[in-house]
Amino acid sequence: MKRILIANRGEIAVRIIKTAKLMNIETVVIKTAAEPNAMYLAMADVVFDDTDDLSDIPAFLDIEKLIEIALKTEADSVHPGYGFLAENAYFAQKCVDNKLTFIGPSPDAIYKMGNKTIARKLALKNDIPMAMGSKGNVTSEEQALMVANQIGYPIIIKAASGGGGRGMRIAWHDEELPKMFNLASNEAAKAFNDPNVFIEKYIANPKHIEFQILADQHGNVIHLGERECSIQRKHQKLLEEAPSSALSEELRKEMGEVAVRIASAVGYYSAGTVEFLLDSAGKFYFMEMNTRIQVEHPVTEEITGIDLIEQQIRVASGEKLQLKQEDIQLNGWAIECRINAEDVQAGFAPAPGAIDKLIFPTGENIRVDSGIEQGSTIASNFDSMVAKLIVTGTDRQDALINCKKALGKVWIKGIKTTLPFFRMLVREPQFISGQFTTAFVEKEMEKFYFSKEEDEQIAAWLATKLFVDEQIADQDRNVDFEQGKRINPWILNKRLKQF
Amino acid sequence: MPKSLLQRVSKLYANTSGKNKYAFSLPIEDKIKVGRTAFDIKLKEDDKLGTYILWKNRKYPVEVISQKNNKFEILFNGVSYTYTIETPISMKRLKFLSRKKGASDIETISAPMPGKIVDILVQENAEVRKGEAVLILEAMKMQNEIQSLVDGKIVSIRVRPNDNVMKDELLIEIKKS
Repeated sequence: MKRILIANRGEIAVRIIKTAKLMNIETVVIKTAAEPNAMYLAMADVVFDDTDDLSDIPAFLDIEKLIEIALKTEADSVHPGYGFLAENAYFAQKCVDNKLTFIGPSPDAIYKMGNKTIARKLALKNDIPMAMGSKGNVTSEEQALMVANQIGYPIIIKAASGGGGRGMRIAWHDEELPKMFNLASNEAAKAFNDPNVFIEKYIANPKHIEFQILADQHGNVIHLGERECSIQRKHQKLLEEAPSSALSEELRKEMGEVAVRIASAVGYYSAGTVEFLLDSAGKFYFMEMNTRIQVEHPVTEEITGIDLIEQQIRVASGEKLQLKQEDIQLNGWAIECRINAEDVQAGFAPAPGAIDKLIFPTGENIRVDSGIEQGSTIASNFDSMVAKLIVTGTDRQDALINCKKALGKVWIKGIKTTLPFFRMLVREPQFISGQFTTAFVEKEMEKFYFSKEEDEQIAAWLATKLFVDEQIADQDRNVDFEQGKRINPWILNKRLKQF
Repeated sequence: MPKSLLQRVSKLYANTSGKNKYAFSLPIEDKIKVGRTAFDIKLKEDDKLGTYILWKNRKYPVEVISQKNNKFEILFNGVSYTYTIETPISMKRLKFLSRKKGASDIETISAPMPGKIVDILVQENAEVRKGEAVLILEAMKMQNEIQSLVDGKIVSIRVRPNDNVMKDELLIEIKKS
């Protein structure tokens, strides 16, 4: 492998370039009109200029175009990153057809794991523990009602081609089932071009535990331990850690073996992730397998010392895994905070904008994976990620202390971010205890941002001071500050009654 | 020549949308009283950090998100606070107004985030119950149910399916029952 086309942008493009450089492999990236000054462009060896393409669909989603770019720039391989076409079997096949090495699993494995109905059947055949569910897709309200009553409420409706929390709805009784069924199906149609949904027993308040898989094209499959991703909101992960405080060594071994079994069953190679739900009784259920590198892969890298992108590249070029299961040691603890441009005080609404100042702390325990820099703009075209702040420690407590310190030192100006959320989270006794489930953020956290008692007063001082400064600077402007002061109280009263 | 505002009043209030108000005597000093102790506070600026507040020997990022007449939104250490600056007289009037407004029986639903209206589940004059979904707003490819916060009757619907709405845009008005 000599030259990789990175069919992606942002922090993951930067991440791939870093490893490629270490391996003396050249990289090709695509310059889009949406972000012609993006950080990843300056780091790559070849930049394909696509800024004159004004279509609404970004190049990263245009299969024909990506193949054309790869061939034009003489790349011999393609790394899809995550999101966009990373789990598109057709894209992977197109790469193969054009003699481009796809840095990921086979198109067949992507297809089988991407289709949740097929994945379920495969899991069933291999004795993988799963939540009870419909045999295949559920196509009508009537059928949904029937299935739901067979397995018992609560149930969860999921998109057959879904992922990332979209097209997922929970129903607790017959009355709301038709509505939830239609919502899920509509959302699935919009997001994945496939309205098919299936139904599963809903495991209330589980932990989200996923296993990192690494496999080669010669039948070797190992796992690199688990990641705990229970800190989420509306099925969107906010913070991940590795390992999980919920797993004993025995449970880790048991779940790891199941993860390896399902990966082997689908003939998997490359890096992949098997997601489980773990209930309070310690029972676990297979949810899905993600056939790509994940956003949260750094926490695994930090505790295993393995570069997952490097492994992906080696496996794609046909190398045998040099690592055996017994070589894998989990050392210390790693926590990743996804710092996004979102307004936590407004329901985590996206808050795009220009970043005036961006300073991250540095240190042995701190790793920052980011695709933006000071002066960059978080555009609304793409995701809202600013950076992943990854902090390590000797154990969970140590990592938490380091994380809290690091969060206090991040300096961002110009946009609202999820930073105040993490500052609050690391102070929550329940989070600190490790005893939390996927319901924690939405159901149990009372406040989504950290502020000290006097902060409101400090900001009030500034507002008042700025107001006074402006009055002084603009004495001539006769502000009718006490607008309506001289109104006859009777008239005022009358007006108010119209409200 | 009319007297300027600052000559007419001896103090100003920063009034939050919640219930808090903070009084500052004029001329405004670089000090804030917490309990009985006054602490120094400084607004500073440098190339590396931009504007910041120095408080109890620590630096905090601060910026003005919006400023319109006497209305301010300040982002302090990543958290947003909104105020209106009031004089003692306008403060009194505000209190009077809020008492009156408290008696208002119209509840408004506005967009919690920017997005697109997918479906409207109610009609004008329809009775709704607290927690009932009134419309579906799609944002970032997620369909979000917007619910009524009160029992009441739909007075007006300000949007139609496929409308794009901005954050805080008025969607529906409900008369409380």
